Amino acid sequence: MTGVTRRDLIRTGAVGAALMGSSAFASPLDGPRQLPAHLDKGVFAAAVAELRAVVGADWVFADPESTLPYAKSSTPDPRHEHVPSGAVAPGTVEEVQAILKIANHYKLPLWTVSTGKNMGYGCATPASSGQMILDLKRMNRIIHIDAELGTALVEPGVTYQDLHDYLEANNLPFWLDVPTVGPIVSPVGNTLERGVGYTPYGDHFFMQCGMEVVLADGTLVRTGMGSVQNSTTWQAFKWGYGPYVDGIFTQSNFGVVTKLGFWLMPKPPAFKPFMVRHNAMGDVAKIVDAMRPFRMSNLIPNVVLMMGAAYQIAMFHRREELWDKPESIPEEVVRSFARKHGLGMWNTYFALYGTDEIIAAIEPIVRRAFEASGGEVLTEKEMGGNLWFEHHKNLMSGQLTLEEKGIMRWRGGGMVCFAPVAPAKGIETQQQTELAKEILGRYGFDYSVAYAIGGRELHHLIFIQYDKEDPAEEKKADDCIREMITRFGARGWASYRTGVNTMDLVAQQYGEANRALNARLKQALDPNHILSPGKQGIA
Amino acid sequence: MHGRAGSVRLAGALFALGVVSGAPVSAETPAPPPRPPEAVYAKTCGYCHGQHVAPVIRGRAIPAEMTQAIVRRGQRAMPAFRPTEISNAELKALALWLKASKADPKEHDQ
Ligand SMILES: Cc1cc2nc3c(=O)[nH]c(=O)nc-3n(C[C@H](O)[C@H](O)[C@H](O)COP(=O)(O)OP(=O)(O)OC[C@H]3O[C@@H](n4cnc5c(N)ncnc54)[C@H](O)[C@@H]3O)c2cc1C
Ligand code: HEC
Repeated sequence: MTGVTRRDLIRTGAVGAALMGSSAFASPLDGPRQLPAHLDKGVFAAAVAELRAVVGADWVFADPESTLPYAKSSTPDPRHEHVPSGAVAPGTVEEVQAILKIANHYKLPLWTVSTGKNMGYGCATPASSGQMILDLKRMNRIIHIDAELGTALVEPGVTYQDLHDYLEANNLPFWLDVPTVGPIVSPVGNTLERGVGYTPYGDHFFMQCGMEVVLADGTLVRTGMGSVQNSTTWQAFKWGYGPYVDGIFTQSNFGVVTKLGFWLMPKPPAFKPFMVRHNAMGDVAKIVDAMRPFRMSNLIPNVVLMMGAAYQIAMFHRREELWDKPESIPEEVVRSFARKHGLGMWNTYFALYGTDEIIAAIEPIVRRAFEASGGEVLTEKEMGGNLWFEHHKNLMSGQLTLEEKGIMRWRGGGMVCFAPVAPAKGIETQQQTELAKEILGRYGFDYSVAYAIGGRELHHLIFIQYDKEDPAEEKKADDCIREMITRFGARGWASYRTGVNTMDLVAQQYGEANRALNARLKQALDPNHILSPGKQGIA
Repeated sequence: MHGRAGSVRLAGALFALGVVSGAPVSAETPAPPPRPPEAVYAKTCGYCHGQHVAPVIRGRAIPAEMTQAIVRRGQRAMPAFRPTEISNAELKALALWLKASKADPKEHDQ
């Protein structure tokens, strides 16, 4: 193995500019940084000086070099519309409040992130250029774990890795529920995006309980039971009294969440992971129809992943190993490569939890149903040691991994996720699969997907992989996701979440009345529009 | 493998409730002690590098300044890491450690 040479890396275009220093950025569009359109340089500099006085010079990033990590994103931005002006990183709630005061004074827009790893949706980049990133990563205290109730209260910078290590070091008998990118992301950021994991606690917002929010004017609010004096039930009861407001602080720009509570799953005495293998793309309908009753009755209690073969292959293999042409990979090529690795066209992973007796009672019922759907029902006995089976076994028992990040290498680092919701009905999922394949095919992209199966719906997670270094490809990826959003929308299928480049487009599909309501709430809570303007299409 | 990440602090008590005025704050919360390079590698880099996901980077004498630049910028499929995630001091120590490191036979490329 040889070392990488400096020339090699500069050739990739990835670090050349960083190595050469900030002078390498000739035009503002080439660089990682853009000032807010409505602020002149002097005003911006004055705001930055005040921010430095609050958090210290080390925690304000306002030159091209130090803004670089905030500008990195895999989503397409062909028109340079998502370039930050810099970042500020408070260490306490009081510092957040002081920052908001300055932002109100200067009308400085701030884009809030917790760990800023919203990968496939824009990472830490803002919905419009010139916003300064409000980076909460330094606020990283695990405030409280209640070992009797199995609850957690954490700050935004705490990662799943931090929590995992804490539970382990203190020998606490709980499992985390992690998204597939757990080590480097946060329960706060993920839950606020209404993200998912793969144990029975997989719907993160469902398992959330109580939050603390700083409003744009600096007011500190605790939701649910958290505002009751001497409350001992903040993380025990979600709904509190009167209007339930936690939801308006998720996928929104109505406040800065500084603490979040959620529930931890008691470690079950027994756990058994399964994989069901189906060999035809068209089997999608049968799988969904077989799964629906089990998810509705909770006999299968976890968020199930139905993984497409191309996505699974991309985790651990490179596109060139299968196919060297610019067009989409033919189904046949994917199928035969998958087969060699013990995979089918669809690989559905679920698990049973409880005691050995409970699992033994449920297993035959589930087995019969999936065998009747034409699938092979496989367990550790047949699949133990298989990289993919082990990966999903880990996810379904709350273990940390970044293996799915391998898919980012498929085509040069670019990836944007289109995530429409489908009802848990076979026919509609099949129609979604067909429509997605048709559109991707015309752009030469591969159908690389995972369906995450909830109680009555599926998130159809379509990963558009492209070469981010090639401007033509970047433009194509942007065009492709817009067409997908529009054409799925025409069928009544809208996204549960979207990247910074398409937030407005998706908001339009949710209708004018909904947008107007959000706009009124925004005006009431943040009249200067300093918090994350453009988030989810809310100005 | 190395216990919990050193940068996480467990708070003893909750903050006071209520509305806080925008009173000036003197700020500059003390920085947590830097984590050793092995811990940063194990808790971040090592999930991808040498695990089928990203190339092996140990035992290749990769120049330290290159590692620092790649980590801050995020090369192609790799995400960037900010000073709020890995401090400048931690990154510098990591880059030097990586440059001097030996290959781990348990790691595999790509
Ligand atoms: C290969 C791959 C696999 C993935 N798998 C999953 C998966 O299994 N499940 C899943 O859910 N996601 C998945 N993701 C998407 C994403 O990486 C995760 O959802 C991740 O948790 C989001 O990043 P974060 O936690 O750093 O949040 P952040 O980037 O910090 O936050 C996300 C957004 O939430 C809002 N926000 C964050 N913090 C605050 C706050 N304190 N106050 C107000 N608003 C705030 C902001 O709008 C911010 O942009 C995957 C991505 C990739 C590339
Ligand atoms: C999420 C997965 C992931 C994590 C975490 C990660 N990297 Fe990477 N890294 C990659 C990928 C993928 C590449 C190859 C990028 C490309 O060229 O497409 C890479 C490339 C590199 C390279 C260049 C290697 C070469 O042969 O060109 C270095 C050096 C590097 N990473 C260092 C680090 C360090 C140090 C860390 C920890 C702070 C780290 N990486 C964390 C995914 C990751």
